[in-house]
Amino acid sequence: MPSDHMTVKPLILAFDTSAAHCAAALLRGHDIVSQRLEPMARGQAERLMPLLEEVLAEGGASYGDLQAIGVGIGPGNFTGIRISVSAARGLALGLDLPAIGVSSLDAQAFGQTGTVISSLDARRDHLYLQIADGAPGLYTPDSLPPLPQDDRPICIGHMADDIAGRCGGIVASPRYATAEAIARVAASRLGQPDLPAPAPLYLREADAAPSHDTPPALLDA
Amino acid sequence: MTQTLTFLGLESSCDDTAAAVVRQRDGGPAEILSSIVYGQTDLHSSFGGVVPEIAARAHAEKLDTCVRDALTQAHLSLDDLDAVAVTAGPGLIGGVMSGVMCAKGIAAARNLPLVGVNHLAGHALTPRLTDGIDYPYLMLLVSGGHCQFLIARGPELFTRLGGTIDDAPGEAFDKTARLLGLPQPGGPSVQAEAEMGDPDRFRFPRPLLDRPDCNLSFSGLKTALMRMRDQIIETQGGLTRRDRADLCAGFQAAIVETLVKKTQRALDLYLAEAPGRPTLAVAGGVAANTEIRKGLMQLCATSGTDFLAPPLALCTDNAAMIAYAGLERFRAGARDGMDLIARPRWPLDKTSPALIGSGKKGAKA
Repeated sequence: MPSDHMTVKPLILAFDTSAAHCAAALLRGHDIVSQRLEPMARGQAERLMPLLEEVLAEGGASYGDLQAIGVGIGPGNFTGIRISVSAARGLALGLDLPAIGVSSLDAQAFGQTGTVISSLDARRDHLYLQIADGAPGLYTPDSLPPLPQDDRPICIGHMADDIAGRCGGIVASPRYATAEAIARVAASRLGQPDLPAPAPLYLREADAAPSHDTPPALLDA
Repeated sequence: MTQTLTFLGLESSCDDTAAAVVRQRDGGPAEILSSIVYGQTDLHSSFGGVVPEIAARAHAEKLDTCVRDALTQAHLSLDDLDAVAVTAGPGLIGGVMSGVMCAKGIAAARNLPLVGVNHLAGHALTPRLTDGIDYPYLMLLVSGGHCQFLIARGPELFTRLGGTIDDAPGEAFDKTARLLGLPQPGGPSVQAEAEMGDPDRFRFPRPLLDRPDCNLSFSGLKTALMRMRDQIIETQGGLTRRDRADLCAGFQAAIVETLVKKTQRALDLYLAEAPGRPTLAVAGGVAANTEIRKGLMQLCATSGTDFLAPPLALCTDNAAMIAYAGLERFRAGARDGMDLIARPRWPLDKTSPALIGSGKKGAKA
């Protein structure tokens, strides 16, 4: 692998299955070589790898040509996130390449100038929301964190109209399609040292109720 | 043709994340070069059972590390592998899916063949991995999630003689431990209590023993134990250590007798086929119970049947059995594509009628 990736245009394969789709993009330097988005509610686990091979083949590349993997880590569908993150970890291990996890909130905010409020539908009357580079969180529409009031933030995503109305913001659309955005964010982080392995960004606890069995009193404890 | 094959195996169908490397020269004994198992008991302990979403979360972030450790322990690199085998079901689908995707990633990256393995086949073929025994042999698979009698005839050819129609015995042990305030997993803690107790003080039901088949039921036993416990608590306000030990002993005696008597029936059916060297093998965590083992060994001794219990580490969930089962499938010509499906339900025996979970989605295991 070239020691200086600025001189050779790095080739990055990015993919995402955090929502009802299978998406993949191949980025060389600043240019998208090929990309695909296939809407699907289920079946991503079967479709993802063949799709990646198709996107690579369309770009005249193979796994061995890559410099990095970019992967969507959510928030979104738990199973969907794990499908991509697990595949990315397996590919990274097999190729000895970095796999860079990119959140859906960062991906849809990428390429804007100014403060971005990025939001996604979290279902059950909740939304995932992130302000600029702050920590992403899970909120209800009635309990949003303090929104920046002064600098006309750019509002992208779920309930963007509502959010913009509350903070004098401007509603905008994501600049790039999901997989392309993930590839571009990954490219921007490629030189960073000690990139962590991609991990799902759930932002929601696992549904689990503690056991109801109460142990009996021991009379001669 | 002599061909030495080195397989990586991945397992993540319940609450153990596992990776292993197994090597076999064609016709020779299989050799486990490494076997790594990361348990999740602590993550689930406060919930009184395995929580699927918690299990899936842990698997997704541990599988690749587990594979690295297995390679390190085997002193091998990915270049030394001939294929990747992975549990593709049955089990908790979130975990199975993570394993399948990680395996696909490794296989695609290294251009290695991928072999999907039935988790139950992994258990059922373990006696061949450890002792190289010949088909056909009788298998009792008894764990926290499964309980069935199988005649193993080939890497993908199994006849199920019977099994549980509701819970697995491991679940009953865990539930008993919870009801009596003993630590999880319930198998070892209930057994330890039972050793100090009187098995005859409380009489528990022996479900389905009145039926001539090889099917079992354990859910009623749980309820019986709870009633017995509640009766004692009602009269004296709590349990004594003696009560607790006696309840465990009575409960375990019921499980042992039921399993042994049903194994007798399965053994009769198997022996009627006049196998060359009759063998009963056990697998699954419950097979570690010493009373169950004792009962099964006595049974085998009276019928001239070899009794085979693999080491405990290979009885409970592990990836060496998956690598080995993949190896056997591979030698028989099996290959899976990058569209390999993770399956929550996947009965080993596709012809025998389903015992549990047989709704419109089909048999579970």
